[in-house]
This record gives sequence, structure tokens and C-alpha cells, in this order.
Amino acid sequence: MNSLVSLKRRLAALIAFAVAMVTISGLFLPLVYAGGNAESEKAANNTTENPKLTGADLYAIHCNRCHAERYPKEFQASQWKTIITHMRVRANLPASQAKEIFKYLQEESGN
Amino acid sequence: MGIVQSPCAMAVVSDEDFKKLADLVGQLNAKVQALEQAHEQDQQTIKQLERQEGTTKEMANMTQQKADAASQQARQPVNPAPNIFNAATHNVMLVGDAEIQYGKTAGQHSSFALADIAPILLIRANDSILFEAGFDIRLQNGSSATLQNGQTGNLGSQTSVDVSFAQLDYLLNDYVTVVAGDMLLPLGTYSERAAGWLNKMPDDPLARSVLPGSGVGIQLRGAIPVGDSGKLVNYAVYGVNGPGSVDGTGNSTFKDSMGSILPNLDLGGNVGITNSGNNANLHQNPSGGGRLGFFVPLHPHYDFELGVSGQTGAWDSAGRRLWSGAILDAAVHISPYFEVKGEYINSWVETDDIGIYQPHGWWVQAAYKLAALNLDLPIISNVELVSRYDTAADGLGLKTNRATAGLVYYFTNTLLFEGDYEWLHSRGPDALPGNAFLLQLSCGF
Repeated sequence: MNSLVSLKRRLAALIAFAVAMVTISGLFLPLVYAGGNAESEKAANNTTENPKLTGADLYAIHCNRCHAERYPKEFQASQWKTIITHMRVRANLPASQAKEIFKYLQEESGN
Repeated sequence: MGIVQSPCAMAVVSDEDFKKLADLVGQLNAKVQALEQAHEQDQQTIKQLERQEGTTKEMANMTQQKADAASQQARQPVNPAPNIFNAATHNVMLVGDAEIQYGKTAGQHSSFALADIAPILLIRANDSILFEAGFDIRLQNGSSATLQNGQTGNLGSQTSVDVSFAQLDYLLNDYVTVVAGDMLLPLGTYSERAAGWLNKMPDDPLARSVLPGSGVGIQLRGAIPVGDSGKLVNYAVYGVNGPGSVDGTGNSTFKDSMGSILPNLDLGGNVGITNSGNNANLHQNPSGGGRLGFFVPLHPHYDFELGVSGQTGAWDSAGRRLWSGAILDAAVHISPYFEVKGEYINSWVETDDIGIYQPHGWWVQAAYKLAALNLDLPIISNVELVSRYDTAADGLGLKTNRATAGLVYYFTNTLLFEGDYEWLHSRGPDALPGNAFLLQLSCGF
């Protein structure tokens, strides 16, 4: 009986977690577009499927998941190599995408 | 027309003389032929000898090379380690973060706190091997001193240095990375991706206290892209020593020297070497765990990720009682300006005295950058509003709920000011203090 009550409580907590995630996302949607920001509108209106993401796209996608983007010129290309190896493991990135990101950073780092 | 002949030509040569002369010429011709034949044979012999000499030299060279190689191998390891110190400027790096905090908790004096630096040392030996170690260096009040009246006071300060993780990463191929050492565990995503300056709050979610942050063992991890649009499946499986028991038994609690009753489950210990220097696991049975995640980007800055993870294994010294944990994690990004993420955590602890108890909790955190309003005012656009709700229960009677509201001000992309107010409600034994006000300056490097 106790275990059934406990299970119900856990399920209730799980549902509360899921509802909170969805509700917060929904509530903030109008705010995201409140300023009419060009970048947001462009992405929202872009209904065509992007055939292949560039290194810059992948950099924006993955790095922003956890922290603000670092500028490519903040590190030398050889330093980016070490950082990308670290991030490939830490963020569990696919090798092919990590290589594209490194290629972009290598070109943009300017050295 | 007449023919004039010379007087010599007109001399008379007898047939006998002519025959002798002809025989002599024939003999000379035979001798010349014999000599030519001998010369040809000599030439062939010379060529053969030259070839033999060449082969002999070649063999001698090969023998010398083999001898050199064998000699070289005897002096060096089979695969010589790269000399990383010739490239110290790019193969060896120090990244990480530092924080300074000011806090005021209800019922306590306000204070500056947490002068904390957390460097991460990265050493890339080659394209496939990376060693990384994270340290946490903190300043805190010193040891307590017993006063004449029997009361205790604080004496000086102490600096603690913790190794948060120290792991060797070997990129085996595009889909598998082998990680070994003291690893951040992929139980949810918080330990790996949100600790320190990456978190937009000065403190951790309460529910993380029911999980281990790192473990000593070995892990296989990797990611597999799904199509060209950035979707991916990532995975991690690992084996670690697992949690331990403070007093070695499977009892839920133990009593310390001051008479306080504390949880017996030790999630952060059992690193393989005991304090007496012995090399031993605290119990025979290791723990196993893993995570499976699915990441879907719709556009850059528009994505969601779902993950499930868990770990199970013995925790008491007899290896008869199991600790198990299960985590559901989720993160959503809608534009560069809005994100929401959270984790639901449940764990089960088998004990000798009270059966199974279940530490659990969950947290949800949302952040909204005012740059979305496009106001062209840097003092507004550099602000990100943050809120969090988190709850945790230790399964032994302590329950805490907390709501937090705050902001982050970005001086740069790596220098942040964070300010939060926390409404905290805690009940049960050793309930946490009340509401708190926290300010923090964080710097990532």
C-alpha cells in the first residue's frame, strides 16, 4: 500500500515536471517574438528544410545549448583543436559535426 | 686503253708461300675469335660478380637497418609518446571559471563568500588522446578552536583543493570515445554541462544532492548523427566503483561523534584508494549506468533534447544493498533568447533497517534574454531574466521546496553578474535555513 502511494507521488511529481516544462515554454513564446527581432522572425518563417548545416550553424546550435558563444578569434586555431576535442567528449558531439565546427573556427580564427 | 701495273705487283709469289700465308691468317683469325670468346666470358663473369656484390651490399644494408631498428626499439617504447611540451602553447591549455559571491540568508549575517577558482587542465597528446582534470580551489573559515569557556570559535582560514574530475579521453573512432579515470557522470546533463559559470544561478538545484556528480571507472560514449540536419542520438555506458557506506553497514543512518544522526549513504566517496593508502573498492560489486539522449535542432537556436539515464549498484560494504537512480532530463531552446531546461530525479536506497527509501526531486529553470525586445539599449539588452523552481526530498524526512528569481548581466560573453532571491521552504530534521539573497560575479576563461 505504501509503495503504491509512493509510486503515485512519484508519478505526480513527474507530471508536474513535464507540465512545468511545457507551460513555461508556451508562456514565453509571445515574449520571444515581442521585439520583432529579425533573426527570430527569419528562423520562424523559414519553413524550407535546411539541406545541410554549415560549421557556423553547428557552432551556433551546440555551443549555445550550455553557454554564450566564444568568438572564433578568442583562440588560435591550434587551441581550438584542443577545445573542440574537449567539447566533443563533454557535450557528446558527433565526430563529423565536431570536425565541421573546427573547420569553421580554424578559418575564422585568422591564424 | 692499257693497264699499268706497279713493279711490286708484278713480283712473283709462289703458290706454296701463298698457302703458308693463308694458313697463318687462318690461325690468327682463330686465335682472335678464341680471345673474343674468352673476353665475352670474362665480361659475363665480371657482370655476375658485380651483381653478386650488389646483392651482398643490399643484404648488408638491410641487416644494418634491421640492427639499427632493433637497437632503436630497445632504447624506446614501441609507440614513442609525442613530445607535447614542444607545443605547450596549444596542446596544453587551462580553461575553467572563477566566482566571487556575496550572500545573505535569513537568520544569518550577510557575507562575502566563495572565493572560488575552478580551472580545467587540458592536455592533448595527439588527435585522439586528451587528458582533462578539473580542480576546485576554495577559501573557507578555518578549523574551530575551543575557547576557555568551553565554547568554540573560528581560527584563521583554510584553502581546500578538490579534484572534481580527472579523466583520460581516447577517441577510438567517430562513434566511440573511451573515457577512464574520475569521470563526471552522465546522470542527467547538469554535472557535465551546467556546473560553475555555465549555470545561470549561483547555486545548484536541490535535487542534484541525491545523485553522485562523479565516479571512478571507465566509460564508453559517443554520438551518432541522424541525417544532415543536425539531429543526433548520443549515448554513454559506464562502470564505476559506485557509492559507499559511511560506517560500512547497510543501515540508513549513522551517529557521528557529536551525536548527530546523518545519512549513511555516501555518494561522493569510494574513489578506489582508502585513506590508509590501500588500493581497494569499499565493496566488491561495481555499479553500472548510462544515458541515452536524442537532440533535435529545428534551426540554429531552436532545438530540444530529451534524455534518460540511470545507475545501479551496491553501496554497503557487504555488497548486499543496492543504490539505484533514474533521471529524465529535457532542454528546449526557442530562439537565441529563451531556454527552459530541467531534470526529474528519483533514486532508491535499499537498507538493512528501514527497507527501501527514495530520495527524489526535480527542477525546472527558464531564462529569457531581454535582447529579444530589440530596444537598442545595452543596459537592457545585456540582461537575462532567470527563474527556477526546484524541490528535493532525502527520503528520510527532510523535504525542501524553493522558488528562485533573478537576473544575469553580461559584461562580456564570459564575465557575468548574477543576482538571485530564493524563497525556500524546508521541513523535517536538519531543515535548511530560510530565504536567501545571492550575488555572484562569474568569469569563464
